[in-house]
Amino acid sequence: MRPIIGITTYVERADFGVWRDVPAALVPQAYVEAVTVAGGRAVLLPPDDLDAGVVDVLDGLVLSGGADIGPSLYGAEPEPLTVTRPDRDGGESALLRRALDRDTPVLGVCRGMQLLVAAAGGRLHQHLPDVLGHERHSPAPGVYGEQVARFVPGSRVAGLLGDGAEIQCHHHQGVADAGGLVVTGRTEDGLPEAVEDPRRRFVLGVQWHPEVGRDGRLFQALVDAARRAALSAAG
Amino acid sequence: MRRPLIGMTAYAQQVHYGGNDLMAGMLPMTYVRAVHATGGRAVLITPDAPDIDVIESLDGIVFSGGGDVDPAYWGAQPHPETEIDEFRDTSELMLMKAALAADLPTLGVCRGMQVMAVAAGGTLHQHLPDLIGHDRHRAAPGVDPMGAGASAFGRHDVVIQPGSRAHALLGADATVNSFHHQAVDDPGDFTAVGWCPDDRVIEIIESGSLRFALGVQWHPERTADLRVFAALVEAAAYCSRRDSRLAA
Repeated sequence: MRPIIGITTYVERADFGVWRDVPAALVPQAYVEAVTVAGGRAVLLPPDDLDAGVVDVLDGLVLSGGADIGPSLYGAEPEPLTVTRPDRDGGESALLRRALDRDTPVLGVCRGMQLLVAAAGGRLHQHLPDVLGHERHSPAPGVYGEQVARFVPGSRVAGLLGDGAEIQCHHHQGVADAGGLVVTGRTEDGLPEAVEDPRRRFVLGVQWHPEVGRDGRLFQALVDAARRAALSAAG
Repeated sequence: MRRPLIGMTAYAQQVHYGGNDLMAGMLPMTYVRAVHATGGRAVLITPDAPDIDVIESLDGIVFSGGGDVDPAYWGAQPHPETEIDEFRDTSELMLMKAALAADLPTLGVCRGMQVMAVAAGGTLHQHLPDLIGHDRHRAAPGVDPMGAGASAFGRHDVVIQPGSRAHALLGADATVNSFHHQAVDDPGDFTAVGWCPDDRVIEIIESGSLRFALGVQWHPERTADLRVFAALVEAAAYCSRRDSRLAA
């Protein structure tokens, strides 16, 4: 049986087929394919703030990208350009807490990385161009910023990707303080691009979008960690 | 205690939202809310890689609405109006057969009911207007035929067989919405227990021998009447507890 990997979904008003403006739970198919190619069984997790018991049947968790997390998660007031999805914040925070309690392998992507940081007591910059003075992390709507990240030798992400990697970014917020996580990758402007928790089985957050493009190594590492976790749970 | 985990088959299709236009695994939130409102926890099952292993983790499953089933599965040629979804067919027929074989509580909605019938050896009518002379089973997209002031187009009654499980759940009749142009002809191993009284189109199928296997041709998730979802979640909770006791 393949490891079961939960992927958190967006909830957006979507047009599809003959339907218009229908609230839908959705996640870019690229996430699903990345999990499938790595040998996992993807299931999509729409937000639900009643409880996080579903984590108990998962072998791994992907926190997907999307809109900004609520600044209240890191003790700040929203700034003018911050666009949030409160329904996702509540459900995903509960899933993440449960996953960390159970030491379930977690990969956080973009918004998901920022959620990891908030859960670890860190905080975010709410609009990077104000801080960095450039827009290379999100050049235009629907366009990924092509950048290079450098990784800290000996870190998990360096073990997976080497000294550095070409990455595709699309975010206007970024990590100001990683809290209890270790920053293990940065772009040349110094912005944290990878965070991890070396005390846990597999907790990795990346600010870029590894599901875009052909480099499946991070998803492979998550699925491998999930398989190992499932085997150790089965005793 | 964990809420029953209800798998829901999802679409993989092109969606447009915000400034994005991309392939997504997706399902209207009405389905998700119907499961959460009746005490279950919804997870979406994408048709990414046909396999049945996910069944083992679920307490129940919903086969959702969508496009038409390929008539090749019951040995017919496609009608000009038939729009198949090959990716979902492969995945969902495999999942359906596995769910029924495992006696996993199963609810089929619209296309999902048709997938039930085909998986159980049945057949479909490919285009209802050819059979009954009108297209009133297909409400316009985005319309709520159950809404106050809505026209009767896409809304009709269902009469339910006395003594059936659907009768115990829904009573002798119901008024439902209607968003389909195909319908079950032969329900295979299932039993037809509900019909539209105007044209005898099959609206409900069920199993007398499985623990819970019910198919409805309408979209209960778009209404305030969530009894079929409540029944699924209840069956899922009961079966899950019972199966764990037997395993222990």
